[in-house]
Amino acid sequence: MAEIKVGKYTVLSDLLYTETDEWVKLEGDVATVGITDYAQKKLRDIVGIELPEVGRDFSAGDPIGVVESVKAAVDIYTPLSGKICQVNEDLTSSPELMNLDPYGKGWIFKLRCKDVNEKVKLMDAEKYVEKIQKGE
Amino acid sequence: MFVSPLFEVEEKSGANFGEFAGWNMPMTYSSYQEEHLAVRNSVAVFDLSHMGRLRVKGRAEELEELIAKELNGSPGQMIGPTAFLNDRGGFIDDVMTYKISDSDFLLVTNATNREKVIKWIKSNSSLDVEDLTFSLAMIAIQGKKVKEIFNVDEIPHMTFKLNVSYMGMKVFLLSRSGWTGEDGIEVWAEPEIAGAIFTKLAQNGVKPAGLVTRDSIRQEMGYLLYGEDIDESVTPVEARYWVFSLSKGFVGKDAIVEQLRNGVSKIRFGFKMKKGMRVIPRRGMEVTSLGSKVGYVTSSTFSPFLNRVIGMGYISPQHFFLGYSTTVEIRGKTYEIKMDDFPFI
Repeated sequence: MAEIKVGKYTVLSDLLYTETDEWVKLEGDVATVGITDYAQKKLRDIVGIELPEVGRDFSAGDPIGVVESVKAAVDIYTPLSGKICQVNEDLTSSPELMNLDPYGKGWIFKLRCKDVNEKVKLMDAEKYVEKIQKGE
Repeated sequence: MFVSPLFEVEEKSGANFGEFAGWNMPMTYSSYQEEHLAVRNSVAVFDLSHMGRLRVKGRAEELEELIAKELNGSPGQMIGPTAFLNDRGGFIDDVMTYKISDSDFLLVTNATNREKVIKWIKSNSSLDVEDLTFSLAMIAIQGKKVKEIFNVDEIPHMTFKLNVSYMGMKVFLLSRSGWTGEDGIEVWAEPEIAGAIFTKLAQNGVKPAGLVTRDSIRQEMGYLLYGEDIDESVTPVEARYWVFSLSKGFVGKDAIVEQLRNGVSKIRFGFKMKKGMRVIPRRGMEVTSLGSKVGYVTSSTFSPFLNRVIGMGYISPQHFFLGYSTTVEIRGKTYEIKMDDFPFI
């Protein structure tokens, strides 16, 4: 997966993105979701997380959990509708994984999508780069 | 917005900048947790150039009337922390005082209150106030091992020297105190010199640390931050911040005496959350006891040293039971917090 550098931020070319700075990796009808490098750098040191409950249904745009940094607590939103099928339990004891490896070990949850066609509402990497540039 | 005079040097050291009290200052370099542990286990350097640095000259009696603590120490001594209070005993600012002579003092104010303090002194006395904030930078070298790395013995604790050489460079002031709970040195120097010292320290293994670390460090000690834990509506008695002396007169004394006689309606308390509970109560969140609101949070953070969330706030004295677990409301959920006293470490 190619890395795109936007100043000090990294964007991965093959992921989809939200306005609220989550990234989405779609494999079949399962979406893996985390927060972007841009989001984790803005939040600075992450010290805690409230994960969503496995098995719960959410609609696209619903807040499903909270990331706690020393700076602020921010909601995380589900980019797509569906049922939570897995959460990253490692984050409970090591929330700093979201700082250290936001696109890898710092993933937050997996969702079985209700309708993968909802992905058309998400941004591709190019558009997300534009969003970061506008925000800087 | 004011910019730290050490901006370029700090940027080279990898600083992430952010706004604090109208200043663009280093918030973190690597991670605040690493920087925090460097203070507790080794040594770190902070840029504190945003804090107000004032030189006040004139009759000591006039300053004594405005400030809550006695200034009767010897020249070369630091007096503090102390405070300027309003008529109701509320904090105008908490300050550190340096006595150069009976008619010459240095003050360090909170960044947010520099102009307010200057105005307060000028409008209530004939004292001459010189603002040194922009001509001199200020750095603090703090940490458990500061003594192993630097020869600090020539400056006894809570004293200072003016116009001395430090690391081969001429500095305006060298003092020994520390707002971290660890031993430490503070340096006031022209920005170029302060920048050179900062760089030399970083090259010699002293970890640069930002204001996020400063905040978590001070919370472990139970030290207060103006604008978060104290302001003009809070008195030293309520804050349990012993910055006054009743053996002298000062603005706000009557209100303090009244509270010491009759009691207070709120008192500062500290708390710890259970290990593994990784949610941070934010400023203003309610402290509850069996469903009733009994207080509120003013500061809280995750302590990397204790590996748990700590914090402070105000509570009704009738509900202040050390060691007792009460609760805090965070986003509609109730979490247990155990009342504890300062320092936490």
